[in-house]
Amino acid sequence: MRPLFILAACIVGLALIDPQDVLTLATAASSLETFATIGLVALGLGLTMMIREFDLSVVGMYSMAGCIAVVMGGTHAWLGLACALAAGLAGGLAQGWLIMRLRLGSVGVTLGGLLVFAGVAYVVTENRALPYENMQVALGLSAPIGGIFSTRSLVAIAIFAAAALVIGLTRYGRDIIAIGSDRRGAMTAGVNVNVLVIGIFGFSGFCAALSGALLSYSLASASPAGLSDVIVPAAAAAILGGVSLAGGTGRPLGIAMGVLSLAVLRAGFNAVGAPPYVNGVAMGAILLIVAILDGPYLARRLHWLVRRRAH
Amino acid sequence: MSRSTEAPLAERAIAADAREGMGARAGEPRNYVGIVRAIVLVVLAAVALTTPGFLSQPSILSLLTTISFIGCVAVGMTLITISGNIMSFALGALVGATAMIFVLAVNWGGFAFGLIAALAFAGLSNALQGFLIGWLRANPIIVSIAALALIYGVAEAFAAHGTIYAAAGTSYGGFKGRIAGIPVEFAVFLCVAALGQFILSLTTFGRNLFLIGSSFRAAEAVGVRTWRAITGAYLWAGLFTAPAGIMLAIRYDAASMNYGMGYEYDAIAAVLVGGTIIKGGEGSVLRTLAGALIIGVIQVVLVLQGLRTEWQYLIAGLVVLGVIALQTSGTRD
Repeated sequence: MRPLFILAACIVGLALIDPQDVLTLATAASSLETFATIGLVALGLGLTMMIREFDLSVVGMYSMAGCIAVVMGGTHAWLGLACALAAGLAGGLAQGWLIMRLRLGSVGVTLGGLLVFAGVAYVVTENRALPYENMQVALGLSAPIGGIFSTRSLVAIAIFAAAALVIGLTRYGRDIIAIGSDRRGAMTAGVNVNVLVIGIFGFSGFCAALSGALLSYSLASASPAGLSDVIVPAAAAAILGGVSLAGGTGRPLGIAMGVLSLAVLRAGFNAVGAPPYVNGVAMGAILLIVAILDGPYLARRLHWLVRRRAH
Repeated sequence: MSRSTEAPLAERAIAADAREGMGARAGEPRNYVGIVRAIVLVVLAAVALTTPGFLSQPSILSLLTTISFIGCVAVGMTLITISGNIMSFALGALVGATAMIFVLAVNWGGFAFGLIAALAFAGLSNALQGFLIGWLRANPIIVSIAALALIYGVAEAFAAHGTIYAAAGTSYGGFKGRIAGIPVEFAVFLCVAALGQFILSLTTFGRNLFLIGSSFRAAEAVGVRTWRAITGAYLWAGLFTAPAGIMLAIRYDAASMNYGMGYEYDAIAAVLVGGTIIKGGEGSVLRTLAGALIIGVIQVVLVLQGLRTEWQYLIAGLVVLGVIALQTSGTRD
């Protein structure tokens, strides 16, 4: 319930500041564009957090996929997208395989992956920003559909819906929670831990690649150095969405709420004309409050403070 | 240099247990990992020494200067990693913010005031994160990501134009140039590393960090005030990171948030390549020094071999991935 509450608080808070500018279709559309930009990265990262791992490499994958798509998709956009997705899936699966086969920690492996993917992005673009000439694709991806949607945001919503259905209705959802809560117990209970963990890293790579490629297409440019600040909003969204770094909690719908909260905040601050840094400060403050409220020792410390005051 | 003798029995028991649970394999994985690691280092040294120009003075000096900035951050990161808090995402932003505070303070009150203000800012802002992490057991990754967003946001609010310049004619009292033939940056880095290693191996505080990192519950059970130690680890991490920002500001006579961008990734790479364990409880500053040197040597060799910048990035990434795969093998929970 908390993700829904945070989302509602964000909307109500912004609406109280300036209802006329905030509660518009333009704000909704702009929120959904942000949702498309960070949503899938947050979903992939959130799933790795649910199994008690952490996929740092999404940052590198995001920019690598954008660069591959723009380089390979000059004439055929689908070809570029396919190459980017294949690279994302392969990179994610390879990292998952390394983690399980060599029993390595995921932060270390995905840090290596991050540096390698960023390196590939520099190599395929030959260290410069590339324009994407196919303007039809660029415009088509961001063209409004039904007032507030675009192809990009519909793709993100569709993948969230698919993930929510698979995790909510099949045993994969329970297996993922089981792996995140108690890996050895899950193994004993007959969960195929290896396949699921490798698969989730593959899915995370795929999601990061998809949103990176679509973003580069819609911006009509790709740069190996840009796009790198995606991990902060993605991790923040997953955590606001009820995913815990301790593993074993979270749902795709919750992550979607978390992403929407951040997206609404960004669009709302833009709508009321706040300077750009307000969004960063607000995101940091919300994240810090969530971290404090989630602190396992919070109740104990408060109790101690109250008792000390009583004496 | 190895701390393995001090790793508590509990940690080894858990590691052995995990090996059984994950399907034990024949032989001790660390033995052949050690051999492969030695071979890699020998090959790297051979390639470096046979690369024309590697032993020239400009090449060595530039290597030493380059690793000093990231090295300082990596020494701070080492304390955080050993204390069981994985890594801080905020140290890169802290470098930029410290550089800005330093330039502002020097312009306002002179060089000494600038140093004090920069160190105080870096130490206190990091200690505050450490306090939340230690006292409330708040998650270190989330707290550092929140701090990252806050630092960038506040810096943007105060410096809308992005870059702050030092007032004309600012004197830095001999902090530019060389001391006894080595770059000042490297001398500062060596001091930071020596202090870090001293704290870790020769003080009770340092021992407590190892204990907390290998088993938080055991540390609490024997009466360690864990929150004080963790706050202290972050305080020192901030103080060790500050020189990187200060030296960058002195070098360029300016400061901007771009200075430290991405340093957190380079720093944790140096920590892991050096062989400090990501789970905490095992590692040393000397290892981080070695890790920073290895990464620096690889980069210099790639430059001297005439590879284009983009290939340097890729190969450096592959080497870091390879070294991490070798060094952490068999140590997963």
